[in-house]
Amino acid sequence: MKLLKEIQSKAFKRAEKYEKEYLDQEQKLVELKQKALKEGSFYREPEPKLAFIIRIRGIVGVPPKPRKILQLLRLRRIYSGVFIRLNKSSLRMLHFIDPYVTWGYPDVETVRALIYKRGHARVNHQRKIIDSNEMIYDKLQKYDIVCMEDLVHEIYTVGKNFKHANSFLWAFKLKPPVGGFSTVKKSFVNKGEHGNREQYINTLVKKMI
Amino acid sequence: MTTQQLRPIVSVFPIKGKVKTIKQVPLPSVFSAPIRPDVVRFVHTNMAKNNRQAHAVSTTAGEQTSATSWGTGRAVARIPRVKGSGTGRSGQAAFGNMCRGGRMYAPKKVWRKWHRKINTNQKRYAVCSAIAATAVTPLVMSRGHRVNKLPELPLVVSDQLQSLTKTRQAVKFLKFIGAYRDVEKVIRTKKTRVGQGKYRNRRHVLRKGPMVVYARNLGIKKAFRNIPGVETASVYTLNLLKLAPGSQMGRFIIWTESAFKLLEDIYGSWEKPSKFKSGFYLPRPVMVNTDVERIIKSDQVQTVLRNRRPRSRKYGKKIQRADPYEDMSVMVKLNPYYKTKLQKQKELDEKNKKERKEIVDKSRKEYEDWLYFSEEEEEEEEEGSDEDREIEVLSDEN
Repeated sequence: MKLLKEIQSKAFKRAEKYEKEYLDQEQKLVELKQKALKEGSFYREPEPKLAFIIRIRGIVGVPPKPRKILQLLRLRRIYSGVFIRLNKSSLRMLHFIDPYVTWGYPDVETVRALIYKRGHARVNHQRKIIDSNEMIYDKLQKYDIVCMEDLVHEIYTVGKNFKHANSFLWAFKLKPPVGGFSTVKKSFVNKGEHGNREQYINTLVKKMI
Repeated sequence: MTTQQLRPIVSVFPIKGKVKTIKQVPLPSVFSAPIRPDVVRFVHTNMAKNNRQAHAVSTTAGEQTSATSWGTGRAVARIPRVKGSGTGRSGQAAFGNMCRGGRMYAPKKVWRKWHRKINTNQKRYAVCSAIAATAVTPLVMSRGHRVNKLPELPLVVSDQLQSLTKTRQAVKFLKFIGAYRDVEKVIRTKKTRVGQGKYRNRRHVLRKGPMVVYARNLGIKKAFRNIPGVETASVYTLNLLKLAPGSQMGRFIIWTESAFKLLEDIYGSWEKPSKFKSGFYLPRPVMVNTDVERIIKSDQVQTVLRNRRPRSRKYGKKIQRADPYEDMSVMVKLNPYYKTKLQKQKELDEKNKKERKEIVDKSRKEYEDWLYFSEEEEEEEEEGSDEDREIEVLSDEN
């Protein structure tokens, strides 16, 4: 009980801090862009660090290499989703599995919705819904993640302990999208669905959550 | 076993006069044998096969033709066909089980195994169980016997019963002791057999009534012979098929006193073997004390148990949790800051709304002002221009 109270009070303070941080980030971005515009130059935004991948094809008839990569990324069934840190190696992996997934850059609200509504933790090799901050505290306290907002922050900003925060989360099991897909066989760029869809992943997740 | 030392007492009743106890005898150990319906069923089903008579189909049935197949090329099935001509039978299919007038599939043979061997000990176990069941009133009642009016169960009666010779006396006794209701049931429910047995000398079907078990036949057999439903048996040769008809335990038995006492010798006990069945002891129950709840709650068990481990119900079994975006209490549990956040958002929205409204109102006012003034200016300009023009015209002409 006492521990829970401590955790909850920490959670309150940190959530406050993070709200401010996200707002500041947004405003900063806007400012920099405006500044650049004034000077007549361009502001190149930092490349995205976080992606959310959703598997949109089934398990039948997948060749070995993409199959293995999907396994490594924990995308073992259709409409499962995972967060992934973007770097050269992971981008190469995504290149191989492009026809089987759709991915993009989630914003804070998407990350939040996923973890709050569909967030399940891997506890004792079991998939258990996160129904209390105590659950997070038990597993991730040593990485200074004690509550839901900490988890969200770690994932969204791809912090130092992203790996642990991400592996704490079981792969998300999403529902088929409301309104359906156009055609999974084509890439998003070609009016289909698979591949990189950058910020449009957010609208898709809203339909699938 | 302590049960033997504490053997209960059973009353012996007279066969006429007043229904009251004339004597008391201890209950033989057999009645404490384990009641095992599974054993009784097994033994009964196999024992019942032992009075079967062989039957079979004639060896020549369906084979008394010299039929041969016509082979292929005749646009008929290749089944053997009856040779010859001049009769309807010729060319008809023969021999096959599917053919009309053919032999059956796997014709029944007399050398089928009709009888079954059962281990002697199993047979004895079943009989002990069945006898024990005859003392359990609920079992006897559930078998269908009418035992409400009996003075006691097991019903033990004086040895004078063995000397009865007349059926009238036997009926009078049954009525006296309260067993006649069971006989009445048998008489009432006598029916014609369903099925072909009715014209195979098995016309009627009767229920089973009381069974009278005696030690010595001094006329009792003949006395009870003609009463429908009643069977007699010697205590030395109790038959499971009679003790548990249809493998249903709990036959209603009327014991004579000496027969009852002899049960102790015939079936023995757990300490003393049977005098008549060599090497046979009463079967032991798997559990002597079947009151499991009482055992668990007893001091002897409770003191030896380890402490109950605290069950960690922290995030226990599949806890269904509501959607935090629909249930505020769940949201607040996960993110205590959420309510404050909503409030701040609301305040911010209101502030922005207010500011926006001020800006919009200001600009609207400015636009209206400008519109008003510009209208005035236009009017003034129009008047002035007419006058100016007239003056200019006059000056030009001069």
